[in-house]
Amino acid sequence: MPPILPDFSSTVRLKYVKLGYQTLVNHFFYLLLIPLLLAFTVEILRTGPQELLNLYLDLAVVLSSSFLITSVATVYFMSKPRTVYLVDYACYKPPVTCRVPFSTFMEHSRLILKDNPKSVEFQMRILERSGLGEETCLPPAIHYIPPKPTMESARGEAELVIFSAVDSLFERTGLKPRDIDILIVNCSLFSPTPSLSAMVVNKYKLRSNVKSFNLSGMGCSAGMISIDLARDLLQVHPNSNAVVVSTEIITPNYYQGKERAMLLPNCLFRMGGAAILLSNRRSHRSRAKYRLVHVVRTHKGGDDKAYRCVYEEEDREGKVGINLSKDLMAIAGEALKSNITTIGPLVLPASEQLLFLMTLIGRKIFNPKWKPYIPDFKQAFEHFCIHAGGRAVIDELQKNLQLSAEHVEASRMTLHRFGNTSSSSLWYELSYIEAKGRMRRGDRVWQIAFGSGFKCNSAVWKCNRTIKSPTDCPWADCIDRYPVHIPEVVKL
Amino acid sequence: MVSDSPVYNVKISSVGPGRATVGEVVQHYGGLDLAMKLHYLRGVYFLGKAAAEGMTTTHIKESMFLLCNDYYMTCGRFRRSVGSGRPYMKCNDCGARFLEAQCDLTLEEWLDGYFSGNASWNIGQLVYHLPVGPELFFSPPVYLQVTKFKCGGMSLGMSWAHILGDIYTATDFINNWGGYLAGHKSNGPFHQQAQPILNRPLLPTSPNGQTPEPLSLKRVDPVGDHWVTANNFKMETFSFRLTATQAAQITARQTHNKSKKPSLFESITAAIWKSIAKIREGINEPKRVTIIRKTNSSQDPMTGNNRIAIGSVSAEFSVADSDSGDLAGWLSDRIGELADEKNLIDEAVERDDGASDYVVYGANLTFVDLAGADLYGLESNGQGPEFVCYEVQGVGDEGAVVVVPWPKSSDGEGNEGRVVTAILPEEEVEKLKLELRKIGVLEED
Repeated sequence: MPPILPDFSSTVRLKYVKLGYQTLVNHFFYLLLIPLLLAFTVEILRTGPQELLNLYLDLAVVLSSSFLITSVATVYFMSKPRTVYLVDYACYKPPVTCRVPFSTFMEHSRLILKDNPKSVEFQMRILERSGLGEETCLPPAIHYIPPKPTMESARGEAELVIFSAVDSLFERTGLKPRDIDILIVNCSLFSPTPSLSAMVVNKYKLRSNVKSFNLSGMGCSAGMISIDLARDLLQVHPNSNAVVVSTEIITPNYYQGKERAMLLPNCLFRMGGAAILLSNRRSHRSRAKYRLVHVVRTHKGGDDKAYRCVYEEEDREGKVGINLSKDLMAIAGEALKSNITTIGPLVLPASEQLLFLMTLIGRKIFNPKWKPYIPDFKQAFEHFCIHAGGRAVIDELQKNLQLSAEHVEASRMTLHRFGNTSSSSLWYELSYIEAKGRMRRGDRVWQIAFGSGFKCNSAVWKCNRTIKSPTDCPWADCIDRYPVHIPEVVKL
Repeated sequence: MVSDSPVYNVKISSVGPGRATVGEVVQHYGGLDLAMKLHYLRGVYFLGKAAAEGMTTTHIKESMFLLCNDYYMTCGRFRRSVGSGRPYMKCNDCGARFLEAQCDLTLEEWLDGYFSGNASWNIGQLVYHLPVGPELFFSPPVYLQVTKFKCGGMSLGMSWAHILGDIYTATDFINNWGGYLAGHKSNGPFHQQAQPILNRPLLPTSPNGQTPEPLSLKRVDPVGDHWVTANNFKMETFSFRLTATQAAQITARQTHNKSKKPSLFESITAAIWKSIAKIREGINEPKRVTIIRKTNSSQDPMTGNNRIAIGSVSAEFSVADSDSGDLAGWLSDRIGELADEKNLIDEAVERDDGASDYVVYGANLTFVDLAGADLYGLESNGQGPEFVCYEVQGVGDEGAVVVVPWPKSSDGEGNEGRVVTAILPEEEVEKLKLELRKIGVLEED
């Protein structure tokens, strides 16, 4: 029996129907304008030139209409939120001496956990399926057997990562330290006194009236929280520059015990950091890379299970580590749904929203068995940056949002090359897309981050100018090797 | 580590290739390499204050990561082939073990202590060593230890599994490191993948079918995955230095009234062979010695045991009763025409596809001549090392003597000093010292 071929003609027909529907709904108002304009033109043509001139010369009419237009315009421009531009950003590239191949990681693990072969087995299985590559990096203190996490080495890592990223940012943007008005540093698990933002102020001798903030404990989604904070501050302070530094300092948080659930972060978290320059100055408008369109924050902490799913605690031996619960993926899915529900109306074209609304009404009123309509976010965005929290997260989101392999390529490749660098991973992913030369003017980017709490935060950017592949980004020397095929299980 | 060792504050980590070795790259070993798997070369390079200037851990590690890009075939881990169980190396970038330590003595003080004959003061303080196994998966073949001394000098100790290569490849490894330290060399941009190394070509076999058993090889009981030579005695190491003048005197005494002029190595070998023969009197007298020295081959591959010549000489007469000078002369003749047994060893091992375990050093009383090894070629801050010494770990029961050139001690007439390290059963060491003092090779305390 020959296989039944798909009905190509009907698929093509369906495609055109969809296209027609989308054009109709998305450009509804414009389409409505056409008959209006026609009617107006006809009316003008009917009214003779003499009558038009009379109308024009009627001072009252002229003055009142221009006054109306001016006042409407003024109100509009005054109440419009200040546009926030992302001028440029820089990601930290660790030195090769920090490189951790799988074999080295496993060997060190075996030597450190010599009395716990089961835990070593567990780590090996995680690493095989993790989606990480052979070039991810850990800070120097963690390379020792056993690791030597001291406060000094943690500060050392912080200085290395943050100062390198900020130096790189200064170089790329030509920014002078004294021009920084707002400084926000986010690092979840390392919070010394004086803070990391104070460390940056000290190193670069920033102005004494710089508005500095240090966000700690907010997990992997803190990067988006920092962007949100910067945006809010830039509404209040005109003509300002804001530098956001997102990083995660691994040194003090490397779990030294043997509980399996707590060993998982050791396998995935790697060294990384990013520095971003945001501005509301009009002078930056032409050279800025992106414009910030939306930031949507969703917090599921009100639910106890969500609150406890990423929890830092002591194990039975008193060693501190981060416990990841088994419901993590389910909770992430819930958080994503909440976030989508808020962001959907802001970004989706009218056609998708209408379909969603109709399906929703249909389910409520007619038949609850109808499948819920998942809006097609591919119509709202050209690029997706999904936090490279782990292979499972990317797989889950790819499934939920019905994304193609190319859409999640930036996330998967970042996970492979740099590992889970926590809040800075979104910037490595954006850098990947730029390095591949895929970023065009007008492209919309959606950055989604998940973090402890449980939070799902996302930001929407619009590309301001077509970006040529940068020569000094962390992908510069290896972009030609990507994308790589990442097998399900890597044989160690 | 001995509890009263002057070396402390040891920190262990790893160094490996900075560049990822992509793909399933493996290194196969020939029969000769497999025969050497129970042996390890251990060497220490002592750098003075000027040479050690600016050698922070970061700088050293950076240069080593670059070095390992070239030597990725020493940074993998051993595996056994499915079926035959023949060892090979999977080049998985695991790296060499790297240790950092401190010592509260100056270089001179440590060296004096080492040569003082104190048994607890050994090279192990400056060269951390563990044999390969019992888990091949997690055993590094190379250990590197950097020890900082009170005077500002430092030492670099290396433990190098002989299966990887001979002393000449080991010294090249260290000398190349000097190039990276100075920033002379650089690997350039990231390459896609390393050149895969497949089967090493076997050395050409002998023309006729029936090959004799090599005299320099001894089969031992299977050791499994723990590559340690099983000794019936506890082996001890003892070293002494011969200045150029002392060395010249030894040769002069031997060749007094004789026409033959043996080389310094031959003189020392004769003197020590005779002494050991006297100690092991009767049926234990070593009638045969193995000589390992540099081959005449001009090739210098990065790895492999191709640059040594291994041969054995057998004496029909009583060595203990022979005259030292005559013995030296006889040795000189025999060494001059000594057949290189590398091919025979290769074939013997290949007969059962490398399933058996062997020793070469210590199969017979072995004398190793390191002349011709560029031991002082390491350059750091434009300076060479103050002192270099090498010994062999995993020597068989018959013992071994390693004769290392000491170019820093020369007498202006073309004679160089030597550092002699003997690895012998514990109870023979004191007796050997007595004998050597009697014949004037070793100075009175």
